[in-house]
Amino acid sequence: VENTLLVGLSRQIVLERSMDVVANNLANMNTTGYKSENPLFEDYLRTRGRENRFNVPDRPVEFVLDRGTWHDFTQGALKPTGAPLDIGIKGDGFLVVQTPNGERYTRNGSLQINNQGQLVTSQGYPVLSDGGPIVFQDTDHDISISSRGRVAAIAGISPNNAETLRGTLRLVRFDSPQLLQKEGENLYSVQDGAAPAPVPDTDMQFQQGYVEGSNVNSVLEMTRMLQISRAYTAVANVLQQQSDLHKNAIQQLANVPA
Amino acid sequence: MRAMTTAASGMQAQTLNVDVIANNIANLRTTAFKRQRTEFQDLLYEHLRRIGTQTTDQGNILPVGVDIGSGVKVVGTPRIMTQGVLLQTGNELDVAVRGEGFFKIAMPDGTFSYTRDGSFQLDANGRIVTAQGLVVQPGITVPNNSTSLTINPQGQVSVIIPPATTPTLLGQFVLTRFINKSGLLPIGDNLFQESPASGPPQDGLPDNNGFGNLQQGNLEQSNVDAVTEITELIAAQRAYEMNSKVISAADQMEQTAIGLFR
Repeated sequence: VENTLLVGLSRQIVLERSMDVVANNLANMNTTGYKSENPLFEDYLRTRGRENRFNVPDRPVEFVLDRGTWHDFTQGALKPTGAPLDIGIKGDGFLVVQTPNGERYTRNGSLQINNQGQLVTSQGYPVLSDGGPIVFQDTDHDISISSRGRVAAIAGISPNNAETLRGTLRLVRFDSPQLLQKEGENLYSVQDGAAPAPVPDTDMQFQQGYVEGSNVNSVLEMTRMLQISRAYTAVANVLQQQSDLHKNAIQQLANVPA
Repeated sequence: MRAMTTAASGMQAQTLNVDVIANNIANLRTTAFKRQRTEFQDLLYEHLRRIGTQTTDQGNILPVGVDIGSGVKVVGTPRIMTQGVLLQTGNELDVAVRGEGFFKIAMPDGTFSYTRDGSFQLDANGRIVTAQGLVVQPGITVPNNSTSLTINPQGQVSVIIPPATTPTLLGQFVLTRFINKSGLLPIGDNLFQESPASGPPQDGLPDNNGFGNLQQGNLEQSNVDAVTEITELIAAQRAYEMNSKVISAADQMEQTAIGLFR
């Protein structure tokens, strides 16, 4: 059995996938609220031969398998934008977003208002408060979002510029955020039965006029990319040598003296 | 290899980012220009091993899955509507809004558009118009023999018509505000139009009910900060370079794979 070839192949497949992950991290270097991905590997033990009558027993062969990609949930840098509807989240909470497929979670606090006056994400999904979507009236102006997620606005002509509460943003956290699944569009979903339900985050901190930058560490990703590229070449060399070995073996064994 | 298309999406997104930054820098000295920002989102993920799938009969589940992302996209270029610095010009028809509110401009087609650019002129009929000749609402006409035009913080325009020595009130500017001014539709010439995202216009008078006041003899500068833009430009350029490196690295890996055949 060509074990060297197969083990090498398993490593090469894994390296290609890691390259895809690095490429995605680098592509999302400037994506608001993006959390970088890291590949995880594990070894896979091929089952031994059942025949045990040999003098030297069949030895196990290990293959490489990519077991998963874990999300790095460290805080991204808060970048000032000055827009009143941009909110940066400090800590490990997520905003709750209503999508056609149910509730989703996001760290992207770059918000907008839609034609119904609802507070929405750039994708147009309503952001949920304790009592459903936050809706502004047509006459509202000077929206303020407190560090506790209290969204208020001055309603039309009001004496002393008194603010009217429009809702308190729901911020949730997860005991095991690794079980969140990335959906694209900066959204995360909970797989049925996989993760415990989200719990309200009590030590939330919002910063109005800021957005959270991506937490991709470009230097780390570049070194990782080099590593992958070199490892790939190294494995290819091993495969090449193995192939040469076979070629030589065939040539020499077949070289029957006349 | 997916890494190539992923990195290509990153390069495309950064190209667009540089376009936006270039437009900000080009408008560094445009009256009342508001800078834009590029907003990115990640693309779909392929779940090669889905989180939470059962691995054994005992109900053990996968704690992490294999999620391979496919790149980045630009979802929007929101406009940052912060106040620009006021520049004193001394011109009696230059007006800056300090605070909330846009001037309301009548378009030739009967609709209205909105601007923060208060570099006004008089047309042949003495009406106060924008630099493009569009009438500023509510349409104030200045008599041609009048002198010393003043605009007070409340937007009241008054002149002295000789031989009178006391000012005559000609009219008062209206200002308009929107619940989501970042959602206004830019149409060029420093003008914006109402959009479904901006919400309906709310008219009011300057220096009243939260509207800003007017400053005669001043113009609002663009809110583009050269240092911020250059930093953003450097960041975008570096991101572009790194994505191109990913493409060459992926290419090298493929070459290595091809090199296996001899």
